[in-house]
Amino acid sequence: MNNNEENILKVEHLQKSYGNHQVLRDISFDINKGEIMTIIGPSGGGKSTMLRCINLLEDPTEGKILFYGDNILAPKYDLNHYRSKVGMVFQQFNLFNNKNVLQNCMIGQESVLGRSKTEAEKIARENLQKVGMEAYAEAKPAQLSGGQQQRVAIARAISMNPEVLLFDEPTSALDPEMVGEVLKTMSNLAKTGLTMVIVTHEMGFARDISNHVVFMSDGVITEQGTPDQIFNHPQEEKTQKFLRNFRNEQF
Amino acid sequence: MKSKTKWLTALLMLVFGFIINAHLANPVHAASKEPVLKIGMEANYPPYNWTQTNDANGAVPIDGSKQYANGYDVQIAKIIGKKLHRKVVVEKTEWDGLLPALTSGKIDLIIAGMSPTAERRKAINFTEPYRKGTFVVIVNKNSKYAKAKTLNDFDGAKLTAQQGTLHYDLIKQLKGAKRQPAMRDFSAMRQSLNSGTIDGYVSEDIEYTSYKAVNPNVVAINLNKMSGFHVDADDSETSIGVKKGNTQLLNQVNAILATISNKKRAQLMNTAIREQPQATSKHENWFVSMMRRYGSMILGGVGMTLLLALIGTIVGFFIGLLVGIIRTIPTPKSTGKRWFMKVIDWILAVYIEVFRGTPMMVQAAVFYYGIAQLWHINLNRTVAALIIVSINTGAYLSEIIRGGINATPKGQFEAAQALGMKHSQQMWQIILPQAIRNCLPSITNEFIVNIKDTSVLSIISVSELFFVGTTVASQTFQFFQTYLIISAIYLILTFSITRIFNLIEKKLEGPRNYNLMANQIQLADPKEAGLEHEQ
Repeated sequence: MNNNEENILKVEHLQKSYGNHQVLRDISFDINKGEIMTIIGPSGGGKSTMLRCINLLEDPTEGKILFYGDNILAPKYDLNHYRSKVGMVFQQFNLFNNKNVLQNCMIGQESVLGRSKTEAEKIARENLQKVGMEAYAEAKPAQLSGGQQQRVAIARAISMNPEVLLFDEPTSALDPEMVGEVLKTMSNLAKTGLTMVIVTHEMGFARDISNHVVFMSDGVITEQGTPDQIFNHPQEEKTQKFLRNFRNEQF
Repeated sequence: MKSKTKWLTALLMLVFGFIINAHLANPVHAASKEPVLKIGMEANYPPYNWTQTNDANGAVPIDGSKQYANGYDVQIAKIIGKKLHRKVVVEKTEWDGLLPALTSGKIDLIIAGMSPTAERRKAINFTEPYRKGTFVVIVNKNSKYAKAKTLNDFDGAKLTAQQGTLHYDLIKQLKGAKRQPAMRDFSAMRQSLNSGTIDGYVSEDIEYTSYKAVNPNVVAINLNKMSGFHVDADDSETSIGVKKGNTQLLNQVNAILATISNKKRAQLMNTAIREQPQATSKHENWFVSMMRRYGSMILGGVGMTLLLALIGTIVGFFIGLLVGIIRTIPTPKSTGKRWFMKVIDWILAVYIEVFRGTPMMVQAAVFYYGIAQLWHINLNRTVAALIIVSINTGAYLSEIIRGGINATPKGQFEAAQALGMKHSQQMWQIILPQAIRNCLPSITNEFIVNIKDTSVLSIISVSELFFVGTTVASQTFQFFQTYLIISAIYLILTFSITRIFNLIEKKLEGPRNYNLMANQIQLADPKEAGLEHEQ
């Protein structure tokens, strides 16, 4: 694990509401370089909304998000540059249907980072190899299984050389037999020192991979700490109740 | 082979004419200084005027086509043209389009067998009459109305007359007659009388003379002799229409008409009746004879229809794309920009509503005659037709494309945003290729609708397939056969275009399965080695 305590992202008093319905109330946390942070909690607790707020796919109602000390919510902030530094892997993969696997991994590099076609292709092929999908370079997303699509989506994200990679329930839409291949890919990725923020329902995976676990419910961070603190010695009643459901199946 | 080259030449000439005219859309008053005398007529009203494919018997070329006009009106026009030292050119125009064409300056004179009614006098001036006629009802010889002696003897008769003419109003004087919907031209009335859907129709005696020559089974009942029949002196005459204010031309034409004696006029009319197109002889197969006489004309019509539909759909597609893209731009954050976008969006919504909410026929008429009347721009009718079809198609396609953009999964936008792509990059590289592909069936549909619906452009006399068909039908009197051929051509066109687009769709779809040469099972697991993240 990386002990470098350099702070990449700092979320301060983040709030998000849709009309009168407040989904996020006062969320604050830090993400340090090399950290693997998992966010767990019951459905509807605001986990995905919070992740989407970090990437500004949702506009926060209140609060600050600091990226290396700069507030990304400031009016003149170069949002597209920021997004190119913060990658995202979606629950529904969201591969570009009109592009093949290789093009999916190249388009962001070319149009956002301005890399040459040759360079982009070289990087894309390297990363496809890392996720075991280089043989499918010419395939269209519709021709792939869910697990294969998600691995390509990961390759697409890391081809941008992001500072942080956000995972929004990356295995929730997969058939059970495909979950393993994606989790394995993510574990391998974690070993490279990439900073990762993962929203997941895979408790065993969260316990094994992360060094910072956040438990969210009802729009607030109920409890956070090391995997040992959260999974073995939860202090809050909500956390205990939530983890009891998983104890039999996953541990 | 010959007809193929002809067709190509016709198409080339069209495109050429289109380009030249687009650059030389000159004001009307400049055109009237040139030694050309533009005469407006239907070229479809024998023996006054008709269309033929060659210049036999002193026919005059029809502007914008390879056809010629001849008839009593044309011969009168030639006398006038000769005295004025101006070359006579016929502008083939639908009956209802004659007055607007004159007032907007597209033609110099109407010589179309037109009666100077009080109503028309409000809009244009008329010369002294160049012919005086007798009104008759034409019925079948064995009809019970063939012996009619008084105006009351037409009780129960189903009668009609040409749309927009005095003849149609005259039916009201025949007590008890059932007035049927008015018809477009004499050919249609002859056909209806023949098939028995009407008992007779009101016209002038010359129509009887010419019809009798091809169908001896008709008789004419003279209305002028019946007691109580009233018709204004103006109405039984035919005069030449001149634009109001153009007194010089009016006086010149009147002076020339005064020199044409009654004897000369009767002689011209008799010649016209003799030379007018006759029904085809029965010795030759109707299909062969029609193709021989009108084959190149029909092919020209096919070419025009395809040109209008193709260009209209392509240009309409780009209009639709532009409008669709603008209307799906996300709401900007700053207030000024937001208002600007709101105004643009409102204008585009109005455009779509107006062009989807009015018939293309009406749009064409308003546009073609409107710009001539208001801004004195004499636009080539093909150009006008292309513009209208494009704008009209654009209105439909912008909604289709907007729908296609909105129907693209939200995740596609989000994934592109998450990579840091700008809105324009997202649209061009990710969203539009998918949206357009999903819209392809609707675009095909629009193309097919265009092939058929360009037929309404006959209102501005664009010689597309339907307009050509109408001309052929009214000259051969073979209505069923002509329209059968025309409908078969339409069907062939739409059918082949559907197939072509289906092929394109299939090609874009690509194969369902991805075949790896290697063993897929081995490759399904991520590689253990080589996982080094580069920072």
